[in-house]
This record gives sequence, C-alpha cells and structure tokens, in this order.
Amino acid sequence: MSVGQARARRSDLPSRLARVEETGVREFLAFVLASETYALPLSCVREIMRVPTVTAVPRAPVEVLGIISVRGQVTTLMDLRQKLQVEPAPIGSRTRILLVDQGDEILGLLCDRVLQVHRLSETEVEMASVLGSDASSYVMGIGRPGQRKLEAAREAKRRPAAGDEEILILLDPIALLKRQAYG
Amino acid sequence: MAQGKDGDRAREEFLAESQELIETLSRDLLLLDSALKLGHRNPETVNDLFRGVHTLKGLSGMFGFDALGRMSHVLEDLLENLRLGRIEMSQQVLDVLFEGVESFQRLLSEPGDAAACDLESFTERVHSLARAKSATHNVLSDYELDPNMLGVLTEYEEHRLRTNLEQGLTVFRLRVRLALDVIDTALDQLKERVKNFAEIITYLPSMDGGGGDSIEIEMLLATKKPESELRAALNRPEASLSAVLRRRLADPQPSAATKQSPVAQAAAPTAATPSLPVRSDQSLVKRATPDVEVSLRSLTSVVRVDIRKLDHLMNVVGELGTVRAALARLVERLRAGAPHALGSEAHRIHRAFQRHLAEVQDGVLDIRMVPLSQLFDKVAVILRQVAREQRKEVRLVITGAETEVDKLIAEELADPMMHIVRNAVDHGIEPTDLRGQVGKSVAATLTVNAYQKGNHVVIELSDDGRGIDPHVIREAAVRKGLLTEQAAGDLSREELLNVIFMPGFSTARAVTDISGRGVGMDVVKTNITRLGGAVDIESEISVGTKVTITLPITLAIISALLFEVRGRLFAIPLAVVQEALRLPGTALRNVDGREVVTLRGTTLPLCRLAQLFRLQDTRQAAHENFVIVITVGNRRLGLCVERLCGQQDIVIKGLGRSLTQVQGISGATDLGDQQLVLVLDAASIIEEVLLARANPLVLGAAS
Repeated sequence: MSVGQARARRSDLPSRLARVEETGVREFLAFVLASETYALPLSCVREIMRVPTVTAVPRAPVEVLGIISVRGQVTTLMDLRQKLQVEPAPIGSRTRILLVDQGDEILGLLCDRVLQVHRLSETEVEMASVLGSDASSYVMGIGRPGQRKLEAAREAKRRPAAGDEEILILLDPIALLKRQAYG
Repeated sequence: MAQGKDGDRAREEFLAESQELIETLSRDLLLLDSALKLGHRNPETVNDLFRGVHTLKGLSGMFGFDALGRMSHVLEDLLENLRLGRIEMSQQVLDVLFEGVESFQRLLSEPGDAAACDLESFTERVHSLARAKSATHNVLSDYELDPNMLGVLTEYEEHRLRTNLEQGLTVFRLRVRLALDVIDTALDQLKERVKNFAEIITYLPSMDGGGGDSIEIEMLLATKKPESELRAALNRPEASLSAVLRRRLADPQPSAATKQSPVAQAAAPTAATPSLPVRSDQSLVKRATPDVEVSLRSLTSVVRVDIRKLDHLMNVVGELGTVRAALARLVERLRAGAPHALGSEAHRIHRAFQRHLAEVQDGVLDIRMVPLSQLFDKVAVILRQVAREQRKEVRLVITGAETEVDKLIAEELADPMMHIVRNAVDHGIEPTDLRGQVGKSVAATLTVNAYQKGNHVVIELSDDGRGIDPHVIREAAVRKGLLTEQAAGDLSREELLNVIFMPGFSTARAVTDISGRGVGMDVVKTNITRLGGAVDIESEISVGTKVTITLPITLAIISALLFEVRGRLFAIPLAVVQEALRLPGTALRNVDGREVVTLRGTTLPLCRLAQLFRLQDTRQAAHENFVIVITVGNRRLGLCVERLCGQQDIVIKGLGRSLTQVQGISGATDLGDQQLVLVLDAASIIEEVLLARANPLVLGAAS
C-alpha cells in the first residue's frame, strides 16, 4: 500500500463513522473471545482470514503474537487476551484473524469465532459511561441488538426469544490497538 | 479531483526538475571555482550556468514560485554581465553565485515570503558587483580588424574576441566559399572540423558577396594552435586563412570605427548578399539559440522516474523470486517422480526462467544506481561554504566518485556526510596560522575516497587536521555525565573514539552554526546504521582523522544465509557474513564474562542468539554447533546457531509500525511458502553486544 493510500484511508475513517452516526444506524462486526462477545465498527475491518503460519518476533511487546504474511505484506498479529483480561485458548478450527485498520497500520486481531454483522440504532447502544468513570478507554459502549425485538415482545406480552438479551461489548479500534511504549 | 491530481503531478515534476537544475548549477559553480583558482575563465561553464538559471526562471514562473522566479532573474542578470565581460569573474562574484544557488534550494523547499527580505539584500549585492566593474581597456583597437566586421558582432561575440586577444590567443580570419544548395550541411561540417582546434567567435556571409550558386563565409577563429595545424584540420585548400595582426604602435587608430553602432551595420551583410535564400539567412542570423536546443535534445534519452515506482517493481521482482523458488521445489519433485523427459523439460524451462529473472533483477537494480558524484558535489559545496565561514583553506581531493550506490542510500547519506565534513573543518582542521606553526601546509586537505568492496561501498573521509585526543573525549564524556569515571577509564582507545557517536556528546567549547551542539555525530551513526551500514573512526593526534562509512550497495534484494536457532528459522544478509564454521566445543573460553573462541590466532567474541532473543528451549537437545562470523565495519562477532540451512535471495520487508522498536531485527522475508522468516540486523546486534559496555544507554535498556 502506498503512503498516499494509507493517508487517504486514515483521514476518511472518522468521517465514515460520522456519516453512519447521522442516520442513527451503525454497523458492527461481532466476534467471540473466550466467553464474551465483542464488536468492532465494521468500517475498520478490512478482511477476515484463517490463521496462517505465525512467526514469533523475539523481544516484541507481550500483546504481539507474531507476524503473518498477508499477500506478501508483513502484518503484525495481536492477541487481545491480555488487554481484555480473558483466559488463553488454543487455536481451533473456527479461530479467525480480523484485519483491522488502526489508523496508520493494518493489524491482525486473533478471535475465537466470528459471529455476524449487527446494525445498531441509537436506542440499542448504551454509552460506556454506564460502566462507571473508570471504564477502559477502548470500550465505546454496550450494544443490545435484541433491544427492539425485546420491546416488541413486551408490547405483545410474549416471552422474549433466546438471544434477544445478548449484549455486545463495543470496542474502539484506535484506542484498543494504540501502541504502548516499551523499551 | 483529477485536475488537482494532475496539478500535483506537474508540480512534483517541476520540483524534481528544478532540483536537478540546481544540482547542475552547483556543479558548474564548483567547476568555475576550481578554474578560477588556476586562473582560467571557463566561458562555456558561465554559458551553461546562464542557460540553467534561465530555464529555472521560466519553470518557476509557470508554477507560481514567484520568489524563485525573481531570484533567478537577478542571478540571470549577473550571469549575463559575466558572460558579456561587463563584470570580471572573482571570488566575490562566485560567493554571490553560490549564495544565489543556495537560496534557490531554500526557496524551492519553502516557497513562502520569509525569503523575500533575503532577496532584497541579495539584489543589492548583485547590483553593487555590477557597479564595481572595472573600466577595461579596449584591446580591439590594437588589432587590425575590419571595422565593418566588428560592427556586426554581437556584444557577446565582441567580448569573446576581446578576451581571446587578451589571453594571447591568435585570431584567424577564415574565408571559404560554400555552394548554396548544400550550405547548411557544409557549414555544419566546417564548424565541426574547426571546433576541436579553435573557438569560433563568429561566422558571417562575406561582405564581398558571392556568385550565383555559392556564397563566401567569413569566420573569426581564436586558437593557440599554429596556422599549419588549423589549415590541416580544415582540409579545404581553397580557403583563405590569415591571422589578425597586432597594429604597429605608430599606426594611428580611429577608435570611432570600432564603436560604430551595431544597428546601423547590421543590415549590411544581407544587403550585400542578395542571392542568399531566406531560409539559410535565418539559420545564420539565429545562431545565438541553437546550442540551447542541442542541450535540451541531449536530455531526452533520460527518463525521470519516481523511486516509489521502482520500489514497487522491485517488490514484484522479489515476489517472482519466491515464485521461482517454489517452482524449483516442484521441478525437483517432478524429476524424482515423473517420467524422465517431463522432468528434464521442466528443469530446462525453470533454468531459462531463472536466467531471465536474474537479468530483470539486475536491470531493475541497475536503474536504481546512481554515481556517488551526485553526493560528493553536495559535499564540495558544503565544504567550500564552511571553509570560507571559518576562514580556513581546505583542498578537497575526491577519488572514486564514479562508484555507484542505490539512489535511496545516496539520498540518505547526504546529511551524515554534511555533518562529518562540518566536523572536520570545525574541529579537525587547525586555524590557518596554527598550521603554519606546526609545519603543515597552510591549505588543509580533505580526502574523500569511495570504492566498492564486495557487496559494500566504502566511503572514507580523511582530514590532515589535529586529530582527536582520547583523553579529551574521556574528560568531556565524564563531564557531561555520559560515562562514569570508572567506565570511561575501562574503555580502550578505539572505544573512546566511538564515544563521539553517543547522543549529547560534543567537545566544542564554542558552539558554531551546526557542529558543536552535540547533535551530529550521533545522527550520523543512527542514519548510517539504519541503512544497514557502519561508521568507524580512526584518529592520530596531529596527523588527522579518518571516518570510514561502510554501506550495502543496495537495500532491495539481497542474498541471505538461513539458519536455525531453537527450531526457528532466521536469515542474515550474506554481505555481513564472513564465514560459517563448526564450533569446536573445547575451544570456548570465558574472558571478562564473555564467551570467546580463538579463530586463526585472533579472538572472536561470541553471542548466543537463543540467549539474546530469550528463545525458549523447544527441543531439549539443542546444541549450538555452528558459529556464523559476522563483520560490520571493523567489528567481528560470532553468532552461535544450531543449524545452517543454505542461502537464498530474499526481499526484506519492514515490520509494521507496531514493531519498529524491536532491536536486532531489520525485517522479515517470505520464502515462498507463506511463512515469514525474520532477518537479523547485524549492525544493531553487533552494536548491542559489543558496545553495551561503552554505552550506558544500551546497557540500561538491556537490563
């Protein structure tokens, strides 16, 4: 990728988010890591791929699993388990890598399973502040994709269907993948 | 949008072309400088400069670089005065020219108004030069020249005539009759023949006119050669050639004749030769311009290409290389299993592919190569400037300027070289009076020597100055808190010299313009290390200092040695590998907490990569059986590895931004099976392992 392309991509990232915000509906890609379901804005996910051979890099920061070749491009593969404080799991048949645009670099993100794309309206997103003021900066909020169905069920006096109470932890890719200082 | 993009592209083209022009201008100025020192005038170079500045003026006008345009205009006037002899060439004039070309550079990089005030003071200086011109004696009146002919000379031609006569050259008047139907070619032929023997001051149709189908051309030629030689070169026995003689002093000269108005006389030749066809007439009259066209034409065989396009091409070639490696493996399998004929045909095709690919690879690499002379020209300009600032006299001796390196490396080298040269003049070379006292020649010498050594280019910069005193370095390093008294005391002489590459080190009492602030030499080191090179310093008190830069020739495709440590594959550029050998278990010694081995009588320090990289033992019986001896600059280190896995051509790809701070690894390469292999950065490993003690910063980071 040329420098120009990278720059163009970086600059239109926030504007794309803003455009979606205007209409009130935003798209998120949900994935599973250990026992929780997380979601990233769809606009920052470039690709979903299977896990190729990973080459470990000595003396790299702990969250770096290693490097992989994505069509000839050397890409850093990150493991979010330490940051999100979840237990390690072996690489299985459903393990996937999300290629995420972090702003100035495309990074690989290991996840246990990719679920689906959710279109969330404003009423289905709770701000991160509900978690208290000490919430991590990379949590954008909580998504409740079943909220509308749940309300509809309540109005119709039905029992809510399984899965309607599912919650998504919405992640901010830029804050999440920010480089940490290390020496 | 498309418009804007085109505009950007045109602007980039303009910047690149202007940059080239400015580089050519500095080169020409340096030529003039050295010519002037020998007492020559070099009119052709002044003309080249004039044309260059003129082109720059036109370009900057087109792209709205107004300040640059105005600046070129001022400089163009000055050069016009120079080439017409209205101003004499001198060191002062050269200074102004150098200053002008330097401001071009500045105006090009920051085309704001900041430089506008510069322009005014600069213009003033140029004008004062013009006013200071000396009244010249008109030598023309001393010679027997046809006043009619003098009358039609342009100002430039008259100046050339005067200068040649002043310098004692003989001026000949040549008359030759040429047939009208072939006049163009015949004239060109004639000029071509004469050119190597004499300067053609002017050529005109003769005043006497010609016959119906021919015309007599009259030329003024200036030469040092005797008449006989010139006559032989002409190869036209019918031509009349006569030297213009000096008037006898008694002969009174009506000086008014030489000063007749050119306008009044200009019509004379055409009037006198009515039979001359119009077209030929024009080609004669317009003779001031053709050489400009010629120089433009000669440029057209060169294509300017963005280095990023070459990078891309190089990448593709690299990918092809990995495809070829995969193909090779397939061919091997085919030869083992398939019918013999099929296997050998695949083998043959693969061989052909390999050969052509190697050619493409060489071709692309070759395109990226530029001679170091481009860089050395910049060095010469800086040196001249610094030497004049410091009032020191420095002679520059350059050898090996034709040595070629990758364009990218040449670019990146400019800053380090500038710092080294500045340091040499600022700190190395003694003040002129001091040099006299210690019995050195007043003019110091800075020698720049470049040569190719295997896959590396070596550049040595040596001065014959006062040299570096290790004691002074030790004191300064302790005073600045870079080293403890104890640590400084432990350092060897060589290690002490290398302290000057530490950040924040400077021994200068007085801070000069650039050097002396403690920035510089560490930047030199960082920049060169980043290119995969090394810098070393040798110095002897009162004899001089030599800085040696060793660089890889190219950064693109390299041959690498593959090896395994703890079951993991690594690569190291073959260029830094001196040899690889089996490690004799008994030969290990422990000296001062470091493992060493004696290799052919010399001590080789060892580094266990598994330890350095903290690789966990995946196989219990891992034995480091081999030592890879790497050298960077004059340092050697043995890397202990478990298995050698052959060599391969690789394309090094940088790690992402998230991993740029990882030490000891310069990138990764794809061997064609989608698996990445890390490529070691030999310079930084040697640095880390061998200089850890000398550099507390590294020590702190490692512990």
